[in-house]
Amino acid sequence: MQSFFYNKNNRLLLVLISSLLIFNIYNIISNTPMVPDQHWAQKIFYVHVPSAWVGFLSYLIVMIAGIMFFLKKNDYWDTVGLAAAEIGTLFITLVLITGPIWATPIWGKPWIWEPRLTTTFILFLIYIGYFMIRSFGGHVERVKRYAAAIGIIAFLDVPIIFVSVQFWAPEIQSHPQVEMANQPSGILFPFLISLCIFTLVYFLMLKFRIHVIQLKNKVIYNV
Amino acid sequence: MFISLLKKELFIEFRSREVILSMLIFGLSIILAFAFTTNVSKIIVLNYAPGMFWIMILFVTTLGVHRSFTYEKNFDAFSLLISAPIDRGLIYLSKWISGTIFLTVMEIIIIIPFFKFLLLDLPSNFILFSVTSILINFAIMSVASLVAGISMRANLSEVLVPILFFPLVSPVIIAATKISSGVLSGDPYQLWQIWLLIIVSVIVIFPLAGYTLFDFITEE
Repeated sequence: MQSFFYNKNNRLLLVLISSLLIFNIYNIISNTPMVPDQHWAQKIFYVHVPSAWVGFLSYLIVMIAGIMFFLKKNDYWDTVGLAAAEIGTLFITLVLITGPIWATPIWGKPWIWEPRLTTTFILFLIYIGYFMIRSFGGHVERVKRYAAAIGIIAFLDVPIIFVSVQFWAPEIQSHPQVEMANQPSGILFPFLISLCIFTLVYFLMLKFRIHVIQLKNKVIYNV
Repeated sequence: MFISLLKKELFIEFRSREVILSMLIFGLSIILAFAFTTNVSKIIVLNYAPGMFWIMILFVTTLGVHRSFTYEKNFDAFSLLISAPIDRGLIYLSKWISGTIFLTVMEIIIIIPFFKFLLLDLPSNFILFSVTSILINFAIMSVASLVAGISMRANLSEVLVPILFFPLVSPVIIAATKISSGVLSGDPYQLWQIWLLIIVSVIVIFPLAGYTLFDFITEE
């Protein structure tokens, strides 16, 4: 199996997406308006929300890969599920780091039980269990099925967790940047650009990670 | 076939009393710890009592489902069970229903010591408290049985069960605490009906998912 970046298209994608990422950082710093009361702290919003979007998209892909793995019995879907779970958890970790950084100047404390942040945290904990079963589960073929099942039930649980946390403490101030459609275009367009670039980065990372896992499986299990 | 599987679960428990007895003793130990760590005014304890009750149930459930699935592992009984020509989803359903029965029996026994050791009065609307608690037991056990079914044959299952179970069951615990608080303080149904809906949605979604997934999880 060839190196991932030996392929000319993948190299081109890497250069293109890296350039877009650099442009995105420049765009966020210089071309977005300062929001009163939030100042520089608000800039993290252009990273925090796209990270959350990518994290949840990734966990949706884990669920779809899990269903496909059960239906098709094809190891490829297990690889997709594992790769998506790893990258999803990376982005969810970013959300859990950038959330408190943003919250500290806005709410005066790093953590409140805001429904989205809480749902993200609970999902993060479930995925820690997912990786534990992947690492220590034992029998390789069984672990693939267990992991697929956890990926499915974790995502099924998301709406229930979100609704219950929302009703649990309705007095808690919600996300500081709600009603995206009502945002001025100076904020909305850079945000949408950032969202698209993060999604592109995600799919490149997913493609790369799938390649690496397939390579590893080929070396270790010869499959 | 479901009835036969359920009978098997109940018969084993009737003979060994392993699950209910271990859950009961563990529950009493937790109450003891709560009593020693909450030596404050009765009003404060009453505010926290529903949360404490469901925390105790959560710990006890972890122990119970782990025990209930572990004895299947002994003598490789589970391999024999899944090699039988039955719908494997029914194995999950029998574990869920039997687990709920064990948990309910344990709760019936432990509810009086719980309130008396914490120096609280028994709930005035005891029937409503019991009915809502049984519904909550169904929801807790639907998640617990599925998690235990997934991790039972994995290594370190005793660690994996609580690690996966606690975050997955968090909406049920929030709802359970809110419902019990509402019932204990005599709030009207309208104030806690949303939490009942959350419990009902868990009772619908998780058993459906468990019934469907169990066939794939237990494949050899």
